[in-house]
Amino acid sequence: MIHVENLVKRYGKLVALDHFNLDVKDGEIFGLLGPNGSGKTTAINCILSLLTYDKGEITLFGKPMSPTNYESKRKIGVVPQNVAVFNELTVYENIDYFCSLYVPDKAKRKPLVEEAIAFAGLSDYRKFLPKKLSGGLLRRLNIACGIAHKPDLIFLDEPTVAVDPQSRNNILEGIKALNASGTTVVYTSHYMEEVEQLCSRIMIMDKGRAIATGTKEELTALIHTGEKLTVEADGLPLSVLEQIRNLPDVLRADYAEGHLKADCKGYGHPVIDVLDLLRQSGVHFGQVYSEPPTLNDVFLEITGKQLRD
Amino acid sequence: MLANIYWKRILVAVRNRGTLIWTWIFPLMMATLFYFAFSGLNEAELLKNIPVGIVTSDEYKNDTAFQTTLTSVSDPEEGFLSLTEYDTEEAAKEALKGGEIEGFIHLENGSPNLSVTKNELNQTILKSFLDQYVQMKHTVVSLIEEGVADVSQILSLFETESWTEALSLSKNPPSETVSYFFALLAMVCLYGGFQGLDSVSYLQANLSSMGIRRTISPVKRFPMVVFDLLAALTVHMACLLFLLAYLVFILDVDFGANLLPVIVTCLFGSFLGLSFGAFVTAVSRAKEGMKVAVIITVSLTCSFGAGMMVSGINYKIAQTIPLLSWLNPAARISDALYCLYYYDGYSQYFLNLGILAVMALVFSIITAFFLRRQRYESI
Repeated sequence: MIHVENLVKRYGKLVALDHFNLDVKDGEIFGLLGPNGSGKTTAINCILSLLTYDKGEITLFGKPMSPTNYESKRKIGVVPQNVAVFNELTVYENIDYFCSLYVPDKAKRKPLVEEAIAFAGLSDYRKFLPKKLSGGLLRRLNIACGIAHKPDLIFLDEPTVAVDPQSRNNILEGIKALNASGTTVVYTSHYMEEVEQLCSRIMIMDKGRAIATGTKEELTALIHTGEKLTVEADGLPLSVLEQIRNLPDVLRADYAEGHLKADCKGYGHPVIDVLDLLRQSGVHFGQVYSEPPTLNDVFLEITGKQLRD
Repeated sequence: MLANIYWKRILVAVRNRGTLIWTWIFPLMMATLFYFAFSGLNEAELLKNIPVGIVTSDEYKNDTAFQTTLTSVSDPEEGFLSLTEYDTEEAAKEALKGGEIEGFIHLENGSPNLSVTKNELNQTILKSFLDQYVQMKHTVVSLIEEGVADVSQILSLFETESWTEALSLSKNPPSETVSYFFALLAMVCLYGGFQGLDSVSYLQANLSSMGIRRTISPVKRFPMVVFDLLAALTVHMACLLFLLAYLVFILDVDFGANLLPVIVTCLFGSFLGLSFGAFVTAVSRAKEGMKVAVIITVSLTCSFGAGMMVSGINYKIAQTIPLLSWLNPAARISDALYCLYYYDGYSQYFLNLGILAVMALVFSIITAFFLRRQRYESI
C-alpha cells in the first residue's frame, strides 16, 4: 500500500530523513516509533506530498504520490499531530466540513458524520464548540475529522499526546476497530507501550533512519537482552552483586534503593540461581518480578540511549 | 462541497470574536464617537447674529432712515444683527462691560458712533457696516443736493446689493464632518485584511493544521481558494453595509443622494483589504500576531493619511507628496466617496476605483504566486 525507497530530506545541513525505506502492507497497523525529532512526522509529510524531498521515490496504492494525485488523496485520511479543527464551528460542523472535502453529496455525508461522532464518543457534544471540550475530547474530535469519510489508509501522527489515560484507551480501542473494519493504519508515537499494544509491525526510527523493523517479537529477538529480573532486597553486599553479575545467564546487574535489577541474556532464566545466591549470602529478599524485554530495551541496545531521552 | 466550504467559512468568520470586535464593533464605536465629537462642527462654521446695542436718543428717534436700516439688518432669519435698545449711553456701556453685547451705536451729529471693548471679527463687521451706511448716506445726500430729481433712480442704484451671485460648486453643501466618516469607512475596508489573513492561514499547510487537512484533501486548490475568499468577501461586505446603514439611518450622515456607488466603492475597498491581508499572510512566515499587527498598523496609518484623525491632512499630503496620496488606498476610498458627495461628474470617482482595482490585482497575483505551491520546504 505504501512503498518508500531511499527517501532523503534535508533541512539545510540537517538530514531529517537519511535514505529512509518503508513498506506498509494492506490491512496492517504499522507503527513508527522514535523519540521526538527522529523524523516520524517528516516521513509522513513527505509521503503525503506536503513536503519537498531531495531524493527518493514514494508510491501509494501502486501509484507515485504527488500533490495532484487526487485519486490517492481521496482514499487517505490524516490526523495531524496538532488539533486541526475550526474553533468557531461545532463538533458536528467541523466533522461535516472536513468530510465534505471527500464526500460532496450531503445526503451521503450525513450518515458518515453521524457514524464518526458515535465512533469518537462525541454524541453528547455534537453542538459544542471545541473550546468547550476537554483535551481528550478535542483529540477525539481531531480523529473524527480525519476518519469520517472512511479512508482506506489513515495516518495518525501522535494522536494521544497530552491525553488522559481513559481517553487514550478509547482512542486506541477505536483505532483497533478501524483496522478491524479494513482500514490500514500508520501510527506514529514516542510512547512505546502504545505501539507495542497496537501495532502489528513496528519501525524504530532515530535521527532520520530506520534502525529496525518487524513485529515486536522480531524486534526483541534482535537484541541480547532477555528477561528482566527485579528483586526487593535489603542491604545487598557488593561482593554478592559481583557474584550475580558473574552468573552465566546474567547480562548486567545493578543495585539501587533496595532493588536488585538484572538483565538476562537471550532466552536464559537465571531466577533460581539469583535467589539461591541471595539466600546463601543471608540477604533477605521480598517480592520478585520478571518481565520480557521491551522496545525501549531494543532502542537502548541499538542506539545506546533511552527512547525518551 | 464548494457550497459547504462557502457556508462554513461564513460561519467561521461571523463567529470569530476578533473579527467581531475589530470589524463590527470597533468601527461602530468610532462612528458614534465621531458623531458626538463633531456634531456641532458644521453649526459652528455658521455666523451667528451679532448682539449690538443702540442708544435710543432723541436724534436716533428722529432718524427714521437709520432706524429702518437697523431694523432691516436685525431680522432674525436673514439679518446679521441682534439689536437691543438702551435709553441711555450709560446703560449701553454697562451692557457692553457685562458682555451682553459686542458693541453699541450712539448717533451723534447725524453720524453713528460705534463703541466696542474688543477688536475681533464681530467688531470689524459692525464697523464695516456702519462705514458703508455712512458712505451711502453721504452719496444719496450729495446727489439730491446736486439736483437729481428722480429719487427712485437713486434708490435703484443701491437695490443691487451685490454684483456677484453665490453659486455652489458642489452637489451638496460643504461639510467638515463627512470626511471623517469617509476615512472611517476606508479604514473598515482595509480591515478586510483580517479576513484575507484567515483565508490564507486556513489554506496553507505551513501556516496552520487546518491547512494540512485541506492541502491533502482531494479538492483542487483554485476552487477552494475562490470559494473561501468569496465567503470572506461576503462577510466583510455585510460588515461594511451594516456600518453604512448605521451611519446613514442612525447617525444621519449624508453620503449624497445615491448610495449605490457608495456601496460599489465599499466593494472595491473590501476586495483590496482582503487581498492585502492575503498578501501579507502568504508572503511571510512571521507569527500570526505579527501579521495582525502589520494589518492594523497599515490600516490605521493609511486612514490617518486619509484624514481620519486630522482634518485636511489628506489634502496636505496630496499637495506635498502626491504619489503617496495616490498610493494610499484609504485616501483613494475616501476620495471616491468625496467625489460622489461633491462632484457631478464620475471621472475622478472611476479613477479612484481603477487605482483600487489595480492595487487589489497586484496583491492578488503575488498571493496566487505563493498559494500555487502545494509542497513546502518545511512545515
